[in-house]
Amino acid sequence: MLWVLKNPVFPIFSKGFNMPRVVVTGLGLVIANGIGVTNAWNALMNGKDGTAELQSFDSSQYKVHRACEVKDFKIDTVFENETTANTIHKYTYTAAKEALKDSGLSDIAGCNRERSGIAIGTLAGELPPFEYLLRNTPKDKANGFDMGVALTYPPSSITTLLSEDFNFEGPNMVSLNACSSGNHAIAWALDLLHEGKVDVMLVGGGELIPQTEFTHFHNLKALAPEMCQPFDKERKGLVIGEGAGIMVLETLDSASKRDAKIYAELKGYGMSCDGHHMTAPHPEGTGAIVAMSNALSMANMSYEDIDYINAHGTGTPLNDRMETLAIKSIFKERANEIPVSSIKSMIGHTMGAASAIESVVSCLAIKNNAIPPTIHYETPDPECNLDYVPNEGRETEVNCVINNSFAFGGNNVTNIFSRL
Amino acid sequence: MKKKAVITGIGIVSPLGIGHQDFWNNLVSGNSAIAPMECLDLSKYESKNGAEVKDLNPEEFLGRKGLRYLNNGTKFLGSSAKMAVDDASLEIDEELSNHTGILIGSSLGNFSQTTDYFHDIIREGPSEVSPMKSYDVALNSSVNYVSVFFKMKSFARTISSGFTSGTDAIGNAVKLIQNGKAKVIIAGGVEQISLDLYMIFYLQKMLAGASGSGNEISMPFDKRRDGFVMSEGSYVFVMEDAEHAQSRGARIYGEISGYGSLFSGNRNSDIGNRVEKARNTMKSCIEDARISTDNIDLINANGNSGKLLDLLEAKAITELFGKKSEEVPVHSIKSTLGESYGASGAAQTASALLSISNGLVPPTINCEEKDPECNLNINNEKVEKNINSVLINSFDLSGNNSCLVIKKHE
Repeated sequence: MLWVLKNPVFPIFSKGFNMPRVVVTGLGLVIANGIGVTNAWNALMNGKDGTAELQSFDSSQYKVHRACEVKDFKIDTVFENETTANTIHKYTYTAAKEALKDSGLSDIAGCNRERSGIAIGTLAGELPPFEYLLRNTPKDKANGFDMGVALTYPPSSITTLLSEDFNFEGPNMVSLNACSSGNHAIAWALDLLHEGKVDVMLVGGGELIPQTEFTHFHNLKALAPEMCQPFDKERKGLVIGEGAGIMVLETLDSASKRDAKIYAELKGYGMSCDGHHMTAPHPEGTGAIVAMSNALSMANMSYEDIDYINAHGTGTPLNDRMETLAIKSIFKERANEIPVSSIKSMIGHTMGAASAIESVVSCLAIKNNAIPPTIHYETPDPECNLDYVPNEGRETEVNCVINNSFAFGGNNVTNIFSRL
Repeated sequence: MKKKAVITGIGIVSPLGIGHQDFWNNLVSGNSAIAPMECLDLSKYESKNGAEVKDLNPEEFLGRKGLRYLNNGTKFLGSSAKMAVDDASLEIDEELSNHTGILIGSSLGNFSQTTDYFHDIIREGPSEVSPMKSYDVALNSSVNYVSVFFKMKSFARTISSGFTSGTDAIGNAVKLIQNGKAKVIIAGGVEQISLDLYMIFYLQKMLAGASGSGNEISMPFDKRRDGFVMSEGSYVFVMEDAEHAQSRGARIYGEISGYGSLFSGNRNSDIGNRVEKARNTMKSCIEDARISTDNIDLINANGNSGKLLDLLEAKAITELFGKKSEEVPVHSIKSTLGESYGASGAAQTASALLSISNGLVPPTINCEEKDPECNLNINNEKVEKNINSVLINSFDLSGNNSCLVIKKHE
């Protein structure tokens, strides 16, 4: 009894006593510097920049002409009613197929389908097919709609189509939370798994590059002209990107029963909201601090347990400064020794997919005991003086990763993965 | 012991009225909000009816500052959130703001502002679009606005799952209260009528009259039904941890005690499988509330006048409730309100809470020639009844099924 009174961790521990542990058993990636987990991971570790001249639409009226688009994408199937162009459905389908195969669940007939759900995050949804149509006949907005657009345009089509593709019959949800959409979806799924409502959740994020969002960031002067340089003194903004990151989350019980390979355990998440401004982050990073601190507390971990910080690191002056301050506040004397890197330097800011892709990469860092670099890092910024793993990937022991996402509107979700 | 999630405030911006009193009075009187739509030019199209929000004065709730830059959805959501917080006599001070979050369901979110922005880009050039419109170019901008308005610090989440979005947002909020992630959640659903919303369902011929039948009336479970009529609005609740509500002596409308959600395929699925999934969703929701079908006093149906959806809902209810399906009252608020998509489940939740408080079942109007295949206890007139537990059904033709159980608070 005395021990209980002395130990403040006990109430958290006892509350979670019956909750199932949740693990990651499959991964899938479609990103600008590589399609498929193996290609993408090698590209990330080698510091391969996925930035190139923008192809999706004519950028001649803009000051910026570069983006991180997925290249040479091919899909092994034809979908009814869909355009020949790339769609979020095609990216998420491809990544989901890879993740399910990787987890050994390609045929989910062996699972209870009603206990298998899907949660995907996106910022803009399937906007480009509408844009293609309206661009050619701009007079009347109604011209932007045909049957294909009608069927895929509601954001929920992303999860309902995947549920159909892979015969999932459990709960499904699309998370519309700007740049933290992916982590919101993962958090939602973790709660369902903890509650015992489901055994398997296919989670992640997907995004294209709509001209609308490109214009939005361009006009806010948030786009870098050439490249994304997170934490560099000369950083000039973000580079817009696209792709998908998908993972299979599963209760440890379910994974153990079928002897599945386990990448990592999803230990917890922390959410917060700045409640401050529609676009600018809180300058002192209070929301970011709360998100990281809530994640550590849900994971029942201390800042001393973390080996790597997968940063939000967008390359905008405000975010990187704020994130650095928040990291210093949480990690105290360890802030200078923990590696922090931003893969957005290589694959751009994939918006609603970003935090999901970074969650996949966090698991790969644990699996491979390696950390992808922050490329284009040249000039240190006195306000951003942490170890950003500059330019070269690093092999080192990685047992526990914290993955940040801090969206426009001060919508923050951080999650934590650790070696089982 | 799980924490309980109770409702202490209701805020409504609806075609049936602003505020829960007007909404309820019109609902129980069977006054329809459906009329030819004024906000869209539908001269080229067959289906012209809709239920629009009128008489909202957002300034009354949100003040003047920045009001002219807000789109309709944000005005709806902001006004109803303020109404709900006032109705709950809740003061979100600095301490409470750390434990207050917002969770809203919307089928399209701010998609129509996003597409308007694109339309401006291609007509006027990217450098000519108004920077003030730029706030809306994320599908969650309405929710962001409200989180900033109330300075909420706990979390802000927007979810989309088609017609069940509002139901899923409320179900998700319940779980976050139960596992202690927040003490107060502003939860509900919002949807605004737009050309975008119209075109999507017009092209799929789901709107009443879209196939040229001339029947543009919402008539749930009637054999003449021809599709749904589009609606809009925002229905928002102050959801609290019961202990928190009781400690501040708040009035409690009811408890959200159960939630269930399953997917039934559309492409590869026959009606039998869809009925089974709808039935299993209701069943899992009732089990989640730790009661049985015997305890359900009222079914607040999805009943949106859709040809297939009404049929499979009726079959699912009959299968699950057995003989009791002929006795338990079933009603659809969509007969007077229309189908408000992502806001529907939240509108149904408001109706269920008010049914419990007032001991009344609102009428299902226009159901005059009941479909013999929909053998349910549906009434054209309001019915007085002591109600303890209500089952809410929320189904989407694309396969999402979600249900809630609302219970009188003891």
